[in-house]
Amino acid sequence: MTENCSAQELMAVFLARDFVDGEQLQVGIGLPVPEAAVRLAHIMHGPNMELVFLGARMNVAHLAYLPLPKFGWDRRVVRWTESFSDRGHRFDQVKDWGQRVFFIGGIQVDPYGNTNLIGIGDDYHRLKFRGPGSVGTPTLTTHVGRYYIVLNSHTARTFVPRCDFISTVGWGEGGADARAKLCLPGGGPKYCVTPLCVMNFSEDEKRMRLKSLHPGVTVDEVQSNTGFELLIPDEVPQTALPTEEELSILRTRVDRTGLLRND
Amino acid sequence: MTEQRQERIIDEVEALRWLDDGMTVAIGEPAPMALLRHIVRLGICDLTVIGGGLALDLLIAGGCVKKVISYYAGGGLGVPVAPSFRRAAEAGKLEIWECEEGILTSGLEAAGKGLPYLPWRGGVGTSLPEINPDLKLITDPINGEPLIAVPAIKPDITLLHAAVSDAYGNVQHCGGPGWIDLFLYRAAARTIVQVEKLISNEEIRSNPWATTIGRADGVVRMPYGAHPFYSRGYYVQDAAFVGDYFSASAADDSELERFLTHYCHEPQTHADYLERIGIKRLLGLYEY
Repeated sequence: MTENCSAQELMAVFLARDFVDGEQLQVGIGLPVPEAAVRLAHIMHGPNMELVFLGARMNVAHLAYLPLPKFGWDRRVVRWTESFSDRGHRFDQVKDWGQRVFFIGGIQVDPYGNTNLIGIGDDYHRLKFRGPGSVGTPTLTTHVGRYYIVLNSHTARTFVPRCDFISTVGWGEGGADARAKLCLPGGGPKYCVTPLCVMNFSEDEKRMRLKSLHPGVTVDEVQSNTGFELLIPDEVPQTALPTEEELSILRTRVDRTGLLRND
Repeated sequence: MTEQRQERIIDEVEALRWLDDGMTVAIGEPAPMALLRHIVRLGICDLTVIGGGLALDLLIAGGCVKKVISYYAGGGLGVPVAPSFRRAAEAGKLEIWECEEGILTSGLEAAGKGLPYLPWRGGVGTSLPEINPDLKLITDPINGEPLIAVPAIKPDITLLHAAVSDAYGNVQHCGGPGWIDLFLYRAAARTIVQVEKLISNEEIRSNPWATTIGRADGVVRMPYGAHPFYSRGYYVQDAAFVGDYFSASAADDSELERFLTHYCHEPQTHADYLERIGIKRLLGLYEY
């Protein structure tokens, strides 16, 4: 889609640049863009980052190639793991999750970054589409320092005025104090990243706002694929392109099989 | 003189005599697939299942499940929602006790501790308390914060897979217990563990700190019993087989039926199943 990379590669590079060395980056199931992003950041500028895949905590910046941990907890993941952060005493240390960064997808997202993994339909007992369920996202997004909403498509079916069901609370009904009112200690969603653009949340209202457009994408295209009115600043920059070094590392040390180039 | 200490080794047939239609069954990580296939073969039904992924989907496909206590029913990358779970749920044929991991572990912990409930924060502000009326929004009496009271979740039976056990139900996992296995064990009325190997009591006592489950009610020797999943210290996941299962589950009824017949109904024992899988394929699942 762009001059030199796919949309998913651009998303991964954007995310990677936002992580700070020393952070603990936790990625769940089936999220190839965040998986690639955390590994890219780890190699590029994060020797003290800790990657947490399904609770397996590792520091693997020294590896020439960081394979995707898609095998559950078998030996191929365990051999790089230093500890299982939640194993056997799961969620017993959420007080320290302010240091943690997390990622979620969703089948619906609303203007305040609330998301839905439960299902689509008016009647919970007869859903038109049954989603996978919340996994651990309600607990994680309640406590982590910040998280990112990362979607593989940007359509008006996904970006809806109201989620049919809410599995994670972003900014609730809106307002900077929305999370404090619910006594949710974590910092909430920072960006929403899609194949079309990057969005953030306005400071006062905490409503979704266009931050940057990927190359070749217009404001109209984003708005017409979003089922609610986005806040649009006067100037919307282009999402910064990957450097040659970033792309080279992404393609040779992170995503050798081209998972992010299949769009 | 009293009798000798009673052994807890049972076989797969005996193991499932403990299981009746309508019970609540919890499934550990990796899933004890040999026992689950046996449940499908016997046609045990109306179960309430605490579990997710392929294991849950297989039991639903096999017609064994009435209700799920569910936090995640996807199959990983490429399988956003397990197909038989999705079909049954959308057809209104499946009761769902909607929860998430922190809520699930809180409920299990409450059961283990003999408490009516434990409070949990994750889920406050979400739809979970609305769509699962057993989850009660409460005001915490210390600081006045909104929390969710999660009622005790009490499995009738927990089914686990681990590396080794002795004859008395002293179980040691290779590399520590699976995911929430210990929560499931502590909460359940009874626990059956299928293991790769049975070892001597002396060997257990040479490193008692490694014992993860001290009193399994029954242990079943099931080498390769977690297939197609991994068993740490023994074999890795058979990813191709997992993919084949989900393809069958997503396809028409006849393809799923063929899969269930071939791998669950026709093999009368675990050994029959392993013969179907084949020695070459099993030996291909080495550690790296």
